[in-house]
Amino acid sequence: MNTAINPAASSHWWNSRAMQRFLRHRLALFGLAMLVLLTLACVFGPYFLAYDELFIDLRARFSPPLTGDHYLGTDPLGRDIAARLLMAGRISLLVGFFAMLLSTLIGTVIGIVAGYYGGRVNAVLMRFVDAFLAFPSIFLLLALAAFISPSPVMITVIIALTSWMEIARIVEAEVKSLRERDFVQAGRMLGLSDTHIMFRELLPNAAGPIIVAATLTVARAILLEAYISFLGYGIQPPLPSWGNMLNGAQQYLSSAPWLAIIPGITITIAVTSFNFIGDGLRDALDVRTEPG
Amino acid sequence: MTFSHPTRRKTLQMLGLAGAAGALAPNLLVSAAHAAPPETPTGQIVVGFSQEPTVFNPLMPRIEVDDGVQFSLFDPLFRVDTQGVIQPALAAEVPTVANGGLSEDGLEWRVKLRDDVTWHDGTPFTAEDVKFTLELVVDPNFRSWRTLGHNLVRDITVVSPTEITWRMEETFSPYMSILAETFMVPKHILEPEADRNTAPFNNAPIGTGAFKWGNRIAGDHLELVANTEYYGEGPYIERLIYKYIPDLTVLYTQFKSGDIDIAGVQYISQDNYAEASKLPGKVVNVVPTATIESIYLNMGRPQFQDPAVREALYAALDKQTIIDALYYGLPTPSETYLPKQSYYYNGDLPPHEFNIDRANKLLDDAGWARGSDGVREKDGVRLAFTNSTTAGNHLREQTQQFVQQTFKDIGVEMTISNLPPAVMWGEYWTMSQFDTVLVGITFMSGADPDVSARFHSDSIGAQGGKGANNGQYVNEEVDALLAEGAQTFDPETRKPIYDKIQSIIRDDLPMLPMFQYATVRGHKEGIMGIEPNINTRIDTWHAAAYYWDK
Amino acid sequence: MARYILNRLGQSIILLVIVSIIGFSVLHLTPGGPLSQYALTPGMTQEAMDRISEQMGLNRPLPVQYLDWAWRLLQGDWGTSYRDNQPVLDVIGRHLFATFLLMGSSTVISIAIGTWIGIRGATHRYSVFDYTATVGAMIALSIPTFWFGLVAIYLFSLKLGWFPAGNMYTIGDQSVLNYLHHLIMPSVVLALVNIAVWSRYMRTATLDVINQDFVKTARAKGASERRVLMKHIVGNALLPMITLAGMQLPNLLSGALVTETVFTWPGMGRLFLDSLGYSDYPVVMGLLMFSAILVLIGNLIADLVAAAIDPRIRLA
Repeated sequence: MNTAINPAASSHWWNSRAMQRFLRHRLALFGLAMLVLLTLACVFGPYFLAYDELFIDLRARFSPPLTGDHYLGTDPLGRDIAARLLMAGRISLLVGFFAMLLSTLIGTVIGIVAGYYGGRVNAVLMRFVDAFLAFPSIFLLLALAAFISPSPVMITVIIALTSWMEIARIVEAEVKSLRERDFVQAGRMLGLSDTHIMFRELLPNAAGPIIVAATLTVARAILLEAYISFLGYGIQPPLPSWGNMLNGAQQYLSSAPWLAIIPGITITIAVTSFNFIGDGLRDALDVRTEPG
Repeated sequence: MTFSHPTRRKTLQMLGLAGAAGALAPNLLVSAAHAAPPETPTGQIVVGFSQEPTVFNPLMPRIEVDDGVQFSLFDPLFRVDTQGVIQPALAAEVPTVANGGLSEDGLEWRVKLRDDVTWHDGTPFTAEDVKFTLELVVDPNFRSWRTLGHNLVRDITVVSPTEITWRMEETFSPYMSILAETFMVPKHILEPEADRNTAPFNNAPIGTGAFKWGNRIAGDHLELVANTEYYGEGPYIERLIYKYIPDLTVLYTQFKSGDIDIAGVQYISQDNYAEASKLPGKVVNVVPTATIESIYLNMGRPQFQDPAVREALYAALDKQTIIDALYYGLPTPSETYLPKQSYYYNGDLPPHEFNIDRANKLLDDAGWARGSDGVREKDGVRLAFTNSTTAGNHLREQTQQFVQQTFKDIGVEMTISNLPPAVMWGEYWTMSQFDTVLVGITFMSGADPDVSARFHSDSIGAQGGKGANNGQYVNEEVDALLAEGAQTFDPETRKPIYDKIQSIIRDDLPMLPMFQYATVRGHKEGIMGIEPNINTRIDTWHAAAYYWDK
Repeated sequence: MARYILNRLGQSIILLVIVSIIGFSVLHLTPGGPLSQYALTPGMTQEAMDRISEQMGLNRPLPVQYLDWAWRLLQGDWGTSYRDNQPVLDVIGRHLFATFLLMGSSTVISIAIGTWIGIRGATHRYSVFDYTATVGAMIALSIPTFWFGLVAIYLFSLKLGWFPAGNMYTIGDQSVLNYLHHLIMPSVVLALVNIAVWSRYMRTATLDVINQDFVKTARAKGASERRVLMKHIVGNALLPMITLAGMQLPNLLSGALVTETVFTWPGMGRLFLDSLGYSDYPVVMGLLMFSAILVLIGNLIADLVAAAIDPRIRLA
């Protein structure tokens, strides 16, 4: 990072105002704590459970929570829900995280290019963004899911392909407003390449909004994964995901409501955590209140 | 070559088979004790369907629920009764050699029609309508759902308003069953239309059936009203309403709460059977259907060339546990593609035995050795394949995961890859792009056992064939037997032919048969006249006879 | 102004063309097709399917099919549904009422409740109420709508039996009361997310207005707190909310789609999923164009209103 012309940089990131503001945001801290706990549970939890997430025991099907060692009960095949929930967490969180990375990448590149070059390039790219936004997201998701065999990687790609537009818009607006600023002009005078200006000079200055939007995209991606897997077009069994654990739960709502309730609450907790963190980051990194 | 009705003895025998399977709804026997149907149509019945009926021109491609509605609006020349016997409907009698309706060689047909039938608009039904219908189904501009059999018909002649004759290009005995699935349409309405595919008739049909078109709220329900001029039995109710409830849980909830009177296709989930059977004021029965659940193998794949592999997979299929645990013991295990209630069912096939050790031994002996990852391999072919079914069918999805685990025990890697219905049953299925599919198929057409479209080597779509042999099964002996079976109308001559075919297919195992479907059907107490018919694919095939016992 | 609108309309048409090309290609390139649903019909053969697909023009090259479709559309012909052989506009029209009923009632609920929560949160900033509302809104935004619908069905239909589990009315009882009875659960479920959005937005908007001079002046003049609130704050903050309403339209539509699925509501969302499931291309394309137009109109209104209230935004 070129600190000379980057006004937002500070000597120690943990001393920065943004960091201090974030630390004062109680909800954000709470969200962060929940998320760390959830991640730790998903990473290490399965090793402490009596059952493997794939172990089928038809005699124990539909055991309610707190039956023997089945702390959260069992599913229609008698598999331990606690084990599945934690293994599913690995998948769902990873899908959410990587979908965020990918969509942020796509959105950022398109946004920067559109914002920096302006004119025709901007018009064409932004019309594309608008066009994608004009689709009901579920249409693109379902249509794309029908294209390929739904492995976790492909589901990640599909979700990313349907959620990059917000970030593109945000970045484009940000870059547009920055592009005539002194440090960019200076860069041009120095003969720096467009690529260098875009990604070395402009990008760090648009980092705040991108980070906030990216956090919220993780939340969104987890919800999308849940929805398409719930419909049966997402992550395929026996690999568990929070969404596909809900698939079929509708059928057993009255006889085994825990099948629906447990994964649903977990999804809500995870998504809420990301939204809390996003909110905290928004306050902490808000460019409008940041001097300079 | 002769044609005859199944004899009385055979009919009784078929009844016996049905009884042995514990099949027929017990309320049928009870219903005799109840009040007779009312003199004039009274009351209404609401039937819930989980798919929306949308096709009302009965000659166009249709799904189950469309069938259900068309049975109420239209009539065919003949209909197949609950015992699989063909009975006259619009025809005055079923043509046989004895009554002069069929020539000895089965090529000349003479059908006498009823003289007391009118269309819903009052126009009399005549032989001209039959001629028009039989010509329309082969009209190249018309989106006809089936031309099989009809394309053999030549020289249709209207002898009189109540008599029609034609000649067949070749003897084709399944045609009788095909005619029983061909509803007659009115010439005076459709003939003047330039484009029969988009004619207004298709959305406001006029038939001869027991019910007339009322109105339709798309996406919600369809209302039919009694045809008081109906020539046959019934109707006994004023209004028949088909309600579209796209979710089985909601369908069941509405059946429980009494919002719908009959839980129709796809019926009540097996998961809810235990609870449903105890509901007060509701009659709930387990009714077998002709659909056979199986794992279809794509014989074009190298993994499935070796008979030992197919046999081993079959031995490793824990059918009984799947039936007992996942399907609550409702369906009956099957060794063949025909339902037990069919006259042509072969009951002497070797019974399946779940035996992991035997499966392992079969594979070991055939030279399939386990690789480092535990998956067997031979000559560079890994014993790994995908299994697909329609996404969202939770019982099938459970079955897949269970089977996946047992297959793993014999060193076979089965990956689940489920698809949305429109993709699943597109080229993926018709052009044999799958490895294996978990599927329920009705092999019979009506009561006819002809399976040329499913198992004849001419029928492989992926190899340019015309039928639906999606598993790419090829067996010359079966080809010859299928041709032979279509040459004769006599059930007693046909039976051994189809027994033999079933026996060969049981040995070859191009599909691993699991069980014959059993559906959980429910209706309110007091509804009379409901008769399941395994030879139709819908419960409302005979709604004309429904009435309230009040 | 007129020039701006014309310009925007021009852009919108380009946008619609892009939408239609993407939609049409994605739809047609997806494996499977409208005949898949008949593949398992007993007696259905490859021969029959090939013939029907020829008759329906499904085996023509994709660009030809697209141009044919677009040409007809320009002449006002939206095509005919493959599934029930009716004109696409009729099919959509018959599902509009249900969706608008659901979207309308849920918008009324969410604006009413959201506005109240938002203003109260802003005027009682950092109170327990404000804090609870903020946290509540965040959680509401995080709950998967389809799951919330399931839980609502479990609690209020299956356990308590207060509301029906689905559909819009009971056959034979089409009274307003019956509609309302069916409407409550889906519209509240759909409203949940929107209440959160509205209340957050209303809070910010109110805070912006509270600190502006004219409100301070009004207060200094001795106007009662309530009067100032009603007249100035609400009056000024409501305008941006119209902008928000326009921008929210696509989300509302997507939300309605999910809600309709869970509650088997006979609206456009249900129609969309059914049509997609049966590959009823003309209807899916019709719905895509229809919703894209709705979204564009929503955006246009949002921008026009934004320009009207904020002279700094120049329409050029």
